[in-house]
Amino acid sequence: MNDMQWTPIGSEPLPPPLPPTRVDFTGDRTEFRKLVTKGALLELVTFGFYRFWLVTDIRRHLWANTAIDGDAAEYTGRAKELLVGFLFALAILVPIYLAYFLVGIEFERWQGFASTPLFISFYAFGQFAIFRARRYRLTRTVWRGVRFWMDGSGWAYSFRAMLWGLLVFLTLGLALPWREASLERYKMRHTHYGDLRGDFAGNGWTFFKRGWWLWLLSPIAVLIFPIAPFFYAEFKAREWRWWLDGIRIGGVSLSSQLPHNAFYGLYWKVIGWWILLSTIFAFYLGGATLLVVKLSGRSPEQMYGPGRAFENIPLLVIMVVGYSALALALNIVMRVYLQRDLWAKVLETAEVHDIGAAADVRGSGELASALGEGFADGLDVAGF
Amino acid sequence: MSELSNEAPAQSAKSTIFFDGVSSRKRQVALTLGDALEILEEGGASVRWAYADIRRADSPGGVLRLACTTAPSLARLEIRDALLASDVTARCVRLDEHQTSRRGIAKVVGWSMAAAVSIVCVVVFGVPLAADRLAPLVPKPIERRIGDASEVQVKTIFGPKVCEGAAGKAAFIKLVNRLRDAAGLDDDSMTAGVLPTPVPNAFALPGGKVFVLKGLLDKAESPDELAGILAHELGHLKHHDNMRGLIYNGGTSFLIGLLFGDVTGSSAVIFASRSVVEASYSREAETAADTFAIEIMHALGRSPKPAAELMFRITGKEGGGLITILASHPLTEDRLARMTKEDRAASGPPLLTDAEWQSLKGICGSGKI
Repeated sequence: MNDMQWTPIGSEPLPPPLPPTRVDFTGDRTEFRKLVTKGALLELVTFGFYRFWLVTDIRRHLWANTAIDGDAAEYTGRAKELLVGFLFALAILVPIYLAYFLVGIEFERWQGFASTPLFISFYAFGQFAIFRARRYRLTRTVWRGVRFWMDGSGWAYSFRAMLWGLLVFLTLGLALPWREASLERYKMRHTHYGDLRGDFAGNGWTFFKRGWWLWLLSPIAVLIFPIAPFFYAEFKAREWRWWLDGIRIGGVSLSSQLPHNAFYGLYWKVIGWWILLSTIFAFYLGGATLLVVKLSGRSPEQMYGPGRAFENIPLLVIMVVGYSALALALNIVMRVYLQRDLWAKVLETAEVHDIGAAADVRGSGELASALGEGFADGLDVAGF
Repeated sequence: MSELSNEAPAQSAKSTIFFDGVSSRKRQVALTLGDALEILEEGGASVRWAYADIRRADSPGGVLRLACTTAPSLARLEIRDALLASDVTARCVRLDEHQTSRRGIAKVVGWSMAAAVSIVCVVVFGVPLAADRLAPLVPKPIERRIGDASEVQVKTIFGPKVCEGAAGKAAFIKLVNRLRDAAGLDDDSMTAGVLPTPVPNAFALPGGKVFVLKGLLDKAESPDELAGILAHELGHLKHHDNMRGLIYNGGTSFLIGLLFGDVTGSSAVIFASRSVVEASYSREAETAADTFAIEIMHALGRSPKPAAELMFRITGKEGGGLITILASHPLTEDRLARMTKEDRAASGPPLLTDAEWQSLKGICGSGKI
């Protein structure tokens, strides 16, 4: 008997067409909170190196608790891959930064601040990184023992993103829906699940119709601050719904009933936490300064004079500790609300149609390297 | 083989599902727990997984999901029955061997700490050393190119005009040449000019360009005051402080950025720690430039004290409206005290005649800027 291989004998009849299937998210919120709290603490003591492990754990948690048609997905990426990807990216980015510096000098010699357009090349690189990072994440996404994968070229994608970006810039943002539609089409048409090919059915016009008034009223949101989060939440909800509605993989399609006000609560909770934590931080700094003044007998003017704030070592240590604690707490808040809760909210309104088309898909596709993730990390454009 | 096993096939109320890792077909299976785990599909063939090869895969709560190191990498067995799951778990001794353990995390923490310590050591000891050694080795043309680039920026900020009053220029060149000779700087290594702006400042650019801003000239009351400041800037040139600073700043920002990664999402910590390290480094350079200025002024038989008085007149007590030349410099009071200590009666001839000094003060025209 050969126990290395599985050879199916005969074939089951395909299941009859089913009503839309739900996507379930069964993740425990407390467990996730503990996960990110522990992760954030470790991130602090490791000067950020733990981020590769934390990000991996977050993905593993979210993926494993997301079930489509009763079967949970799985994330097979590992932190070491991300670390290696980061080191590789570093090896490539460092000489580029150096070249950027030297070319910048030549440009500056010719005309003051002429090197500013060189930033654009970093934007292009960032788009490339986004595409390649997506490829890494997809090839680590497994459902029913078959992985997703991607072909297509990161540079071709980056080129498109640049051209569309220029158009969005020239039209003051009006072309954004068409940009998103075009880029998403490129990404989804190069996305595969086993031997099924993806597609994106959404178009810019639909998205535009759903959100044009937001674009028109956005100057008001800039003027009146408390409206801005509503606007952003409104925009994000419409964007998510339009995106989910457009996704196709082989004969399988997705739809979403995400209400337009779905994210109001999330964003306001984050803002509330942010205000609370900043207030605590301000009180902490005030108290610490008072204490140092009392102990050292120097006046606050002496300590906060120009260029002096950084010369007082105990005060500096207090500031750095407080700031790290603030950053840590905000990190936890952002991850719980904007990653986990948002994920759950989006999924609970999603429906999958004709899942039968994915009942017997042959696995294919190669694993992609984590280099893209490394670039995304190095350029600070990382997503999930 | 299963018929040889004395255990009955473990049947369960909840279904057990198998994905073979080749296709996405969902297979209902029964398990037999013999000397290896046998997976039997109804009406299909069976697969055997040795217990030692079985590993746990991520799964939602209530499901035990297994993989096997010798099977296709994505083959998965999902056991939903708790009793059966604990039965299987008990037999698979190496189930969790591949997971990140406490020891694994401790290793990550340990190595990160080691990396942090070594980066801090490099920042504190290595980079200054490298900057000191490398700065004099930077070829002149490269230094000059960087200087040209900064000059274009300076002129973008302060306007492209350079003060060209003929008599004033002659006086300025005379003053600069006397200082340069005393400083022992190469002939070609230095050009200087006065820029018409009310900011009271002076600076040296890489490659040897020294600029005096009109605001400083207006505040100066004697040639010695200006000469001391110029000598200080020449000191920076002599010590290659620009290139040292460039190498040092670039090196530290890069290393500290590398150290913190994106843990804070912003650079406040990086900025704070950089400020501390760099401020002390730059104070050293400033003190060295002051020493140099004192030596030159003595060599010319003039007192360095007037220059410090000029600085003090500009900054007032520390903390007043701040001037860029003096940021991250030693306290003006301390510098004044030091230069006062070095005060000597003039033994050399005046650096400029009264007439020359007056025309230098008027180099930018009728005092209008």
